[in-house]
Amino acid sequence: MALLSRQPWLTASILLVPLLTLAAPGWPRLAEVGPAWSVLWLLPWALVDGPLSGVVAGAVLGLLLDALHPSGVSELPALVLLGWWWGRMGRLGTPVERSFNLGLLAMLGSLLLDLTLMLQWILRSSLAVGSGHGPSGGIDPALLAQPGWHLADLAGAGLHVLLARMLLTGLLAPVLCSLQLLLWRQQAGGGSRR
Amino acid sequence: MPARRWLRPITLLPLLQAWPWLLLALALLAVRFSKGAGLADAYALLSRPFWPGTAQAEWLRSARRFEDQARLSTLEAENARLRGLIGLQQASPKRPTAAVIARDPAGWWQTLLLGRGSLQGVREGNAVLAPGGLIGLVTSVTPSTARVTLLTDPASRVGVWVGRTRHHGLLTGLGTPRPVLRFLEKDPGVLAGDLVTTSPASTLVPPDLPVGVIQSVDISADPAPEAVVQLAAPVGAVDWVQLLAP
Repeated sequence: MALLSRQPWLTASILLVPLLTLAAPGWPRLAEVGPAWSVLWLLPWALVDGPLSGVVAGAVLGLLLDALHPSGVSELPALVLLGWWWGRMGRLGTPVERSFNLGLLAMLGSLLLDLTLMLQWILRSSLAVGSGHGPSGGIDPALLAQPGWHLADLAGAGLHVLLARMLLTGLLAPVLCSLQLLLWRQQAGGGSRR
Repeated sequence: MPARRWLRPITLLPLLQAWPWLLLALALLAVRFSKGAGLADAYALLSRPFWPGTAQAEWLRSARRFEDQARLSTLEAENARLRGLIGLQQASPKRPTAAVIARDPAGWWQTLLLGRGSLQGVREGNAVLAPGGLIGLVTSVTPSTARVTLLTDPASRVGVWVGRTRHHGLLTGLGTPRPVLRFLEKDPGVLAGDLVTTSPASTLVPPDLPVGVIQSVDISADPAPEAVVQLAAPVGAVDWVQLLAP
């Protein structure tokens, strides 16, 4: 937790993620879908600051982003898991610096994040009873009225969102995450020398 | 001999002298028996430069627009009177506007954020209109902002009806730009091109708001017949919206 405890203004940069999510700038878009800003911020943070800081940052990000969304699914579990995984990777292995590796990790992170969302929607929709037909053989309006992503929607539009977000996040990661890694490693090194 | 001398000029000379008149007579007969076709065509050819041009067509269109507007006002007044008679709610004439300050029209959550909140009178359930028709409903409100769930969001369910066939259905977002209308009857009888509006008897959304146009129909869909709806309002391009209480 070196960075978190000693560089509060760096910690405040976590607020950029919900702000960028809200602003949804028009230029970094692939098939109308924007990147996973949370993954692009969390990856270099966890790689520099370790698993505990990664888990905390993932949880904070998850809470912030869940507050922005109206439905009952959560990004928190995936972000906590990613923060822990990337934090361990930064501590135990050789430092991740190559653009290809950063892009690949960001793609995997975006994929995992979206898969957990899809899984939550599948679980929610599978709780619906019956096949859509009412007790008298007619159409059950209550079932038609059940909101949220359903399996057929996830297989169509959901897959489109997942692939577009994964590709765009992977493409942006070498540029953005490299800069963040450089900046935060300098800050962390400077902080530890003080 | 004298008889032969007189015979020749009497038979040939008038015929030779009258050939233009014969041609004229033939032409007149042709005009008569063709019911004046040649004459009408000739007139059309000669008068073409003086035919009514685009200016006249524009005047007619303008007059038709004026007539449509007048009919619309009359029908609206009549509709309000009838709704009052049968005790249904009135469409509110006041429609406050709000700026779109954030949008995510193509992700997991298809929402808009409006720069107007509970302090300005926005409430959950308010209908959100853009030029063209309904685009969504307000699902959460803060003091200065309101979050709109678009009709294309998979969490969106709005009761609508097709005026031509008088059949109700549930407009369901799929995460794609075109939501799906799921009918409650097995044979809704709708066709591509039918206008979809909010239900005239609705209490959750304002009645008779245009929503979109049916693009294609799938009668064999399970569990209910479905129709793909093209929204009338350009959801991805709106910067200002109008709010309407149900």
